[in-house]
Amino acid sequence: MLKIEDLNKFFGGIKAVDGCSFEIKEKTITALIGPNGSGKTTIFNLISGILRPDSGKIMLGGKDITDKSIEDISNLGISRLFQQTRLFNNLTVRENLLLALDNEDTKFWSVFVLRASADKKNKFEKKIQEMLELVGLEEFADKLARDLSYGQKRLIELSRAILNPHNFLMLDEPVSGVAPRLREKIKEILIGLKEKGETILLIEHDMNFAFKISDDVIVLEKGRVIAEGKPDEIKNNPRVLEAYLGN
Amino acid sequence: MISAYFIHLLILVGIYAILAVALQLAMGFTGLLNLGHIAFYCVGAYISALLALAGWPFWFCFLSAGIGAMLFGFLLAIPTNKLKGDYLALATLGFSFVIYAVALNWTGLTRGPLGLPGIPKPSLFGFVFSNNLSFLILTFIIALTSYFIIKQIASSPFGKVLEAIRDNELAVRVLGKNTFKMKSYALGISAFFAGIAGSLYAHYITFIDPSSFTLLQLIPVIAIVIIGGLASLRGTVIAAVVLVLLPEPLRFIGFPSSIVGPARQMIYALLLILILIYKPKGFYGKIELE
Amino acid sequence: MFSQLFVNSLIAGAIYGLVASGFSLIYSTCKFVHFAHGATIAFSAYFFYFLFSFLGLNFWVSAILAVVFASWLGWLMNKVVYKKLRKRKAGNVILLIAGFALLIFFEALILMLFGADVKTIGYIKIAKGLEFLGAIITPLQIVIVAVSFVLLVALFLFMKKTKTGKAMRAVAGNKDAAEIVGISAEKIYSRSFIIGSAIAGIAAILVGLEQNLQPMMGTNLMIKGFTAAIIGGIGSVPGAILGSFLLGFAENYGIWFLPSGYKDAIAFVILFIFLLFRPYGILGIRKNFQK
Repeated sequence: MLKIEDLNKFFGGIKAVDGCSFEIKEKTITALIGPNGSGKTTIFNLISGILRPDSGKIMLGGKDITDKSIEDISNLGISRLFQQTRLFNNLTVRENLLLALDNEDTKFWSVFVLRASADKKNKFEKKIQEMLELVGLEEFADKLARDLSYGQKRLIELSRAILNPHNFLMLDEPVSGVAPRLREKIKEILIGLKEKGETILLIEHDMNFAFKISDDVIVLEKGRVIAEGKPDEIKNNPRVLEAYLGN
Repeated sequence: MISAYFIHLLILVGIYAILAVALQLAMGFTGLLNLGHIAFYCVGAYISALLALAGWPFWFCFLSAGIGAMLFGFLLAIPTNKLKGDYLALATLGFSFVIYAVALNWTGLTRGPLGLPGIPKPSLFGFVFSNNLSFLILTFIIALTSYFIIKQIASSPFGKVLEAIRDNELAVRVLGKNTFKMKSYALGISAFFAGIAGSLYAHYITFIDPSSFTLLQLIPVIAIVIIGGLASLRGTVIAAVVLVLLPEPLRFIGFPSSIVGPARQMIYALLLILILIYKPKGFYGKIELE
Repeated sequence: MFSQLFVNSLIAGAIYGLVASGFSLIYSTCKFVHFAHGATIAFSAYFFYFLFSFLGLNFWVSAILAVVFASWLGWLMNKVVYKKLRKRKAGNVILLIAGFALLIFFEALILMLFGADVKTIGYIKIAKGLEFLGAIITPLQIVIVAVSFVLLVALFLFMKKTKTGKAMRAVAGNKDAAEIVGISAEKIYSRSFIIGSAIAGIAAILVGLEQNLQPMMGTNLMIKGFTAAIIGGIGSVPGAILGSFLLGFAENYGIWFLPSGYKDAIAFVILFIFLLFRPYGILGIRKNFQK
C-alpha cells in the first residue's frame, strides 16, 4: 500500500529522519512507535506533503507521491488525523464533517446553485448521521466545534478523517489525552474499520494500546527504523527495550 | 437643506456598507487581514472615472471598475498566499501604498495630485442620476444587491470552506481542498465589490484625487467591520449606518469642518481601540480574531 | 551626482536608522508591530515645534522636553492600550490593528491642533553647504549623521552591557525562560517602550530640523522604519540599522532609474520583495514567521 524508501530529512544540522525505509501492508493496522523526538510526526508530515524530504521516495499504491502538494496527496487517498486538534472551531460539528465528504464545495459556481440535488444531500446526511452514531455524538451535530470537550473534539476529528475519502488512514496519537472509556471506543472503531478492509498507520505513545490494536509495529529511534515485526516480537526485542529504557 | 444633507449621508452609508461588507468576506469569513482594501477602492474609482471621461457608458465603467479591481485582488493573492497574521497585514498595506504612489505619480494617466474633475453622473437607459435622491436610490439598489450576493456566498458550502480556512488552513488542505484558489477567490470577490464602491464614489463626487484613498479612509472601513463583528453581515450594515452618522452632530453643533474632519477620524480610531479592548467580538460577531 | 546621491543616502539611512532601531527594539521584546511608533515621532516633532518655534523656549530645553514627551507617549500607549490587550490574551494581529488605530488617532489630533499646512522649525538658517568631493552637505546634515551614529552605538552598548539591556535580550530570546529566572516581562515591555520612544523623540527633532513638519509624516516614516527593520531582520537592532542604510541607498540611487515621485514606492516594493522571499530579513533568524 504505502512504501517509503531511504527517506532523509534534516532540520538545520539535526537529522530528524535518517534513511528510513518501510512498507505498510494492505488491510492492516501498523503502529509507529518510538521515544520522543524519534521522528514519528516528521515522517507523517513528509508523507502528507507538509514537509519535503531532502532525499528518498514515498510511494502510494505504486505511485510516486514524494513531490506532490498536500492537497494532491489527500486527493490521492491519504487521510490524516493531527496530534493537536485542528477542528474548524467556529463551524458546527455537522459542517466540520460535511467539509470532509467531497471537494465540490470549492467550486465557485456552487454558490449560485440554490439547491444541491436532494439525492446527494440525503446521502451525505446519512453518512454523517451514521458516523455520529458510531462515535455516540449524534446529539451534538449542531453544536459549534469549540463548545465540545477535548475528548469529543478528538472523536469528531477522527470522524472527519474517516469520512474524508481515502484508502489509507494516518492517525497521529488518536487516544492521547482521551479518557479510558473513550480509548476502548476508539479501539473498537479502528478494528471495525480494519475488518471493513481499511489500511491504517498510527503513531502511539501508549504501548499497551499500540500492541493490542496493531498487526505490525515499526520502532523508530533518532530517525532510524530499529525494529519491525509483530507486536510479540517487538515486545521482547532487546534493541527496543534499550531504546526505551537505555537512556 | 437638512434633508439634502441627510441624503448625502445616506449615500455615503451605502458606499461604506459595500466597502465594509466586501472586506468582511476577506477578513471576517476567510481570515485574511487585508489592510490593502482601500487600494481596490482606489483602482475601481480611477478605472471608472477614466473610462467615463473617455466617453464610455456608465454600466460599462461600473463593471470594468469591479472587474479591474478583482484582477488586482487575484494579483495580490499570489504573493501573499503563504503570509499570515501581521506579515499579511503589512504586505497588503505595502500594496496599498504602491497603488497610492502610482496614482500620485503616473501623471500622464491620473493627473497625479491635480486629480480627475468632471466625472459624469451615472446614466442608465437614458436616465441621468443627476440629483442626489435618484443617486441614493441607485446606491441603495447596488448596496442591497452586493449584500445579498455576499450573503449568498458566505452561507453556501463555498463560504463554509472559506470559514474553515480562517479557522485552520492546514486542516482544509489536508482534506484535499486547494486553499490558494479559495483565498484568491475571496480576495478577488472582495476586491470586485470594493471596486464598484469606488466607481459609485467617483461618479457621485464627480472628482477624485489620490488623497481620497489613504489610510485615513481605511480606518472607518476597518472600524465598521470590527465593531459590527467579524463574519456578521447584519452587524456590518448596522455599524456602517451608525458610524457614518455618529460624528455628524459635531457639524450641527457648529464646529468648523477643519475640526469635524479630524474629529471624525479620532472618533473612529478611539471606538476601534475601545472595542478591541472591551468587546473583541464586536456587537454582532461570533468570532474573535486570533 | 554620484557623490551627492551617496551623501543623501547616508542622511536618509541615518534618519531611518533612528526610526527603525526604536521600532525594532520594541518589536524584539514585545513581538508585535507597534504601528503607532510613527505617531510618537510625528507628535513629538510637533511638540518640539510648539515649544521652540511657538512658545520660543530655549533650543536645548525644548529638545529635552520633546524627548521626554516622546518617551512618556510611548509608555502611555503601552500602558493604556497594549497592556490591556495583552491581558486579555489578544493576538499580535489585534495589537497591530490597535497600533494602526492609535497612529490614525494621533495624526488626526495633530491635524486638529496644528492644521494641515506644512510647518518649519527654522532653527538653523539654511547655511551654505560644505562641498565634499563634489557633493554638498549642510552642517545640520553632518550633525544628523553624527548624532545617529553616536546613538546607535550607545544603544548597542546598552543592550550588550547594562542589566536592563541584558534582560531585554533575554525576554526577546525566550520570554517564558526569562520569567522563570525572575525577569518581569511586563516591566521589560514598558522599558522597551520608554527607550524605543525616546530614540523616536530624537529622530523627531532631527527630522523636524531637516525637513518640514506635516501631519502624515508619521505614517511615512513608520513605513520606512518598518521596511528597514524587515530588510535587516525584524527584531534585530543591528539588522534594523543595516536595513536602514540599505534602504536609504536603494531609494536615492533608485531615482536614477525612476521619476523622483516614486522614491516612496521603492521602499514598498522592497518591503514586498522581502516579505515574500526573505521575511526574516538579512540578519534575522528564520522562525515561525508563518505562524
